Amino acid sequence: MILTPKIVARVVLIGLVGVLLQLCFFSRVELFHVSPDLLPALVVCLGLLGGSMAGAVSGFAIGLFLDCLLVEALGISSLVLLGVGYLAGLFRERFEIHSSLVPALLCMGLTLLAELGFGAVQLLLGVDAPLSVLIARDLLLKSVYAFFLGWPLYLLLRRILRPALVEEPKVTRRRQPRVLGA
Amino acid sequence: MYRKQVRRRRAVLALLIVTSFVLLTLTYQGSNGFQGGVSAVFSPVQSVADRALKPARDLVDWFDETFDAKGENSRLKSQLITARKEAVAAQEALQENAQLRKLVELDSNPPLVYTNYREVTGRVIARSPTVWRSSVTIDLGSGDGVRVDDPVISGAGVVGRISSVGPGSSQVMLLTDHASAVSAKVVPTGVQGVIKPEVGNPEDLILDFIDSTRKIHGGQAVVTAGWRAQGLASHFPPGLPLGEVTSASILEQEANQQVDVRPYADLRNLDIVQVLAGGSRP
Repeated sequence: MILTPKIVARVVLIGLVGVLLQLCFFSRVELFHVSPDLLPALVVCLGLLGGSMAGAVSGFAIGLFLDCLLVEALGISSLVLLGVGYLAGLFRERFEIHSSLVPALLCMGLTLLAELGFGAVQLLLGVDAPLSVLIARDLLLKSVYAFFLGWPLYLLLRRILRPALVEEPKVTRRRQPRVLGA
Repeated sequence: MYRKQVRRRRAVLALLIVTSFVLLTLTYQGSNGFQGGVSAVFSPVQSVADRALKPARDLVDWFDETFDAKGENSRLKSQLITARKEAVAAQEALQENAQLRKLVELDSNPPLVYTNYREVTGRVIARSPTVWRSSVTIDLGSGDGVRVDDPVISGAGVVGRISSVGPGSSQVMLLTDHASAVSAKVVPTGVQGVIKPEVGNPEDLILDFIDSTRKIHGGQAVVTAGWRAQGLASHFPPGLPLGEVTSASILEQEANQQVDVRPYADLRNLDIVQVLAGGSRP
């Protein structure tokens, strides 16, 4: 990603809108008793478009902003989301994204990882109540929702950040010439 | 060149991780002025966003509620039958109570135990996204007389208590948060225990520390106990409705029984809440 002041402003705005949308909309609607979590998917898409550093930094910043608005323990969301962003960026740097399914699948897998990460950090800090098996339903449905959110989100962010993206030459397969009579 | 780039990348990553841990440590040491400032700046924006997104939320809720409506209907029908029986019994009890009050010459309208509280009505403007933290942000702050630990109720019952206060917004720790604990009693038996959540299940609370010899059955109401002893007191006034007992099971090899309670308040779809501000402090 080529970072210019304009692009940085766009990424900051994407982060702000994403966190506000999560807190005021996605956290407050439920489908099958589970609320979707947009933020891991947003960080994954930024990591896929910008690489590991862009993913880690945006994950950290988005997590910090989220914790500030919720007046919760600072650092938990930052730590989890920076890991998610870094992994998404690393994937982009190591592998080529051939299929349009890849961003959605990565959003799904890394959202599951993020939710497990939140759980692990919370358990390390101490949970004073018994855990319900319904947590498993919550984790799985959140990652399924991330699959469906990740798809349009990736396309939208790619469009918004297009001027900054380093386009990789498309690998096109040449059709083999057919020999008549063979 | 490539090595330098990799080294710089690793340094940034390490710096971010260390910063996260430092922030976490600082928060647990109790310095959150920065958070309060950011929250104060963005609470009007959150309030506007909340109102703007309400139609879209209602649309999604409509879909979700349509799926649930069938099961809800049969549950409500059976609840209605039980409630009718209880209403008849309650009317008889009220009549008897009035007669007894006359006999012992008590005031016929005893004041409610929480009349020294001022009810401040506010809106929920944001909600925590993970199942591990159960909190909401409301558009009431210190300017409205809200203080930390003030009880928060909805039309149906207790919702939680204020966990932090900013100038224009406050955080409410819901009953379903892992750190929440409310002293409660079952009515009419008066058996007391502590209401705790089951993390991940917003429709179930656990009434703990109940002696296994005390009989508790489904359908009984649970209210706040509101105890006060030796200079300590519950944050909640007595008699606020908490929920209804759904089941009670005696745990093997334990002297306590576990009572499951369904909260009266719909903690997943909160919109308007009331803060009981200005109550006496322990």
